[in-house]
Amino acid sequence: MPPVLLSKLLKKRQLAALVADLAAALACPLAILDAEENLLQSFAVSDALPLKRFTVSLQGTQLGWVCGDDKARVLAAILGYHAELELERRELGAETLHKYKEIALLYSMAEHVPSCAETEEIIERLIESLHQVITFDTVTVLLFDHENEILKVSASDDENFPVGSKIMPTGIMETVWHSGKGELVNDLPQDPRFTELKTPAYSLICTPLRSKETMTGLIRISSRQTLDYTAEDLKLLTTLSTQAAVQVENATLYRQLKDSFYTMVYTLAETIEMRDPYTGNHTKRVTEYSLAIGRVLKLSEYQLNRLELSAVLHDVGKIGVPDTVLLKQGPLDDDEFHQIKQHTRYGEEILHRIPQLYDIIPGVKSHHERFDGRGYPEGLQGDEIDIKARIIAVADTFDAMTTDRPYRRGFPFEEAYEELRKNAGTQFDPAIVDAFFEIDVMEAYFAARTKSDYATVLK
Amino acid sequence: MSKILIVDDEPHIRYLLELTLEELEDDGAELLFAENGAIALEIIRAEQPQLVLLDVMMPEMDGFTVCDTVKNELAMKDIYIVLLTAKGQELDRNKGEAAGADLYMTKPFNPDDVLELARKILNI
Repeated sequence: MPPVLLSKLLKKRQLAALVADLAAALACPLAILDAEENLLQSFAVSDALPLKRFTVSLQGTQLGWVCGDDKARVLAAILGYHAELELERRELGAETLHKYKEIALLYSMAEHVPSCAETEEIIERLIESLHQVITFDTVTVLLFDHENEILKVSASDDENFPVGSKIMPTGIMETVWHSGKGELVNDLPQDPRFTELKTPAYSLICTPLRSKETMTGLIRISSRQTLDYTAEDLKLLTTLSTQAAVQVENATLYRQLKDSFYTMVYTLAETIEMRDPYTGNHTKRVTEYSLAIGRVLKLSEYQLNRLELSAVLHDVGKIGVPDTVLLKQGPLDDDEFHQIKQHTRYGEEILHRIPQLYDIIPGVKSHHERFDGRGYPEGLQGDEIDIKARIIAVADTFDAMTTDRPYRRGFPFEEAYEELRKNAGTQFDPAIVDAFFEIDVMEAYFAARTKSDYATVLK
Repeated sequence: MSKILIVDDEPHIRYLLELTLEELEDDGAELLFAENGAIALEIIRAEQPQLVLLDVMMPEMDGFTVCDTVKNELAMKDIYIVLLTAKGQELDRNKGEAAGADLYMTKPFNPDDVLELARKILNI
């Protein structure tokens, strides 16, 4: 199909008026035909078409004819000229439209910067965006693996670079990796750095993924068809990949921050536990039981995360209880018991200093509350007690009953189950006890052991 | 016949929208154009397009007024009206909703989105 259709051109109001005026001025029979000789318009033609034909052409392509006498040549020339203008306008318009698409894309990418997205998600989004603005057959994203100091294929639909494989960049990729500057190569086989691949490509663009001064990876797009990439394409790929690199770096930093926060929390909990080695691994088991209950209750990922932190830190306040009381063998007197009870309040005080942990305070503070309101420190009852605390209460009591203490042997599991059943509705929320009976206790028990750094031998 | 009316005082925006939507002509849609609010209202009355892409910022009669007139005064509620506005004028959104606009799009709009929307509204 020709780039401009005569039929469409003649529908333009201004040109239609001009053609009508011209036909009137020329005062001779005129007919305009398209390339398939269909009559588009005629002036003063009685029956048969005038004999002489003049071609309307655009850059060597025939768009149609104007029939008439010699004067018809003028109309054919004018139509040809307008077709050329229209083509130019169209090309400029298409280019502007493409730019418009790019701008819209960049806007939306900047607007939807994920705060803590996973690396895979960021890369996926990058590839999606690229497809909208650049033509390519295959795309490969390589990320630098800092541990092994090698580039790893993070995403690819190119059979030359299987996902997960480790790659020493060669050829053009090597140049880009070392220079940190993107490159585009058209007519690839002619490039001296070209290395034969399983699936050949005609042209490619390779740009670094870099954030500030750090190179985090490479992205490579290629085309098998003879398609020449432009400097514009290179610039666009660079812009988009830089954005993605910054996001990847943010994601990594976020993950590291989160990891170190969790490590601190666990270390804190273990430090306290070490004061009282007889409880051996109590915290980890309580955490595993609690999470298992939470999953039965279908808590959200976020709630499970808060439950985990609450369980890990449920006894953090014991740090404020003197050894003479905490480690005492044998029964406690009233004053000693009062001191032990304070650990729930100390827990609250400690967590109050850590803004990221404010919201788990109820889970920690209330884990000795009873469903019937006869617990401590506040004597809350029923739903007044935070659900995390109600869960931890069951997990904590169960573990305390089933493990050995200096002053007594632990109960067999069966007896502990009976004890939970008996106290459902008084000490415990019956719904939580029901949920507890749905969990796989042994699985949670062993999960806690494998996670343990200083697991005591199963007695 | 399905008709789309493009209203913008800037010729290049009209042209961009024309380029974006012209493939719909092959599916029997007709593109209509207006360079100001008064002409837009005239065309809407006469042609009853299914979809109007309406620029907000126009001299004399702005897009809100046109939209309000169509939706409320003329009670032509079936006409789907998209208000187009420049980035950063999101506050106008409330005004657009009050005028009864069906959708609010910020420039630079993504041409693919506009085309997809038009296909959906015209059901082609």
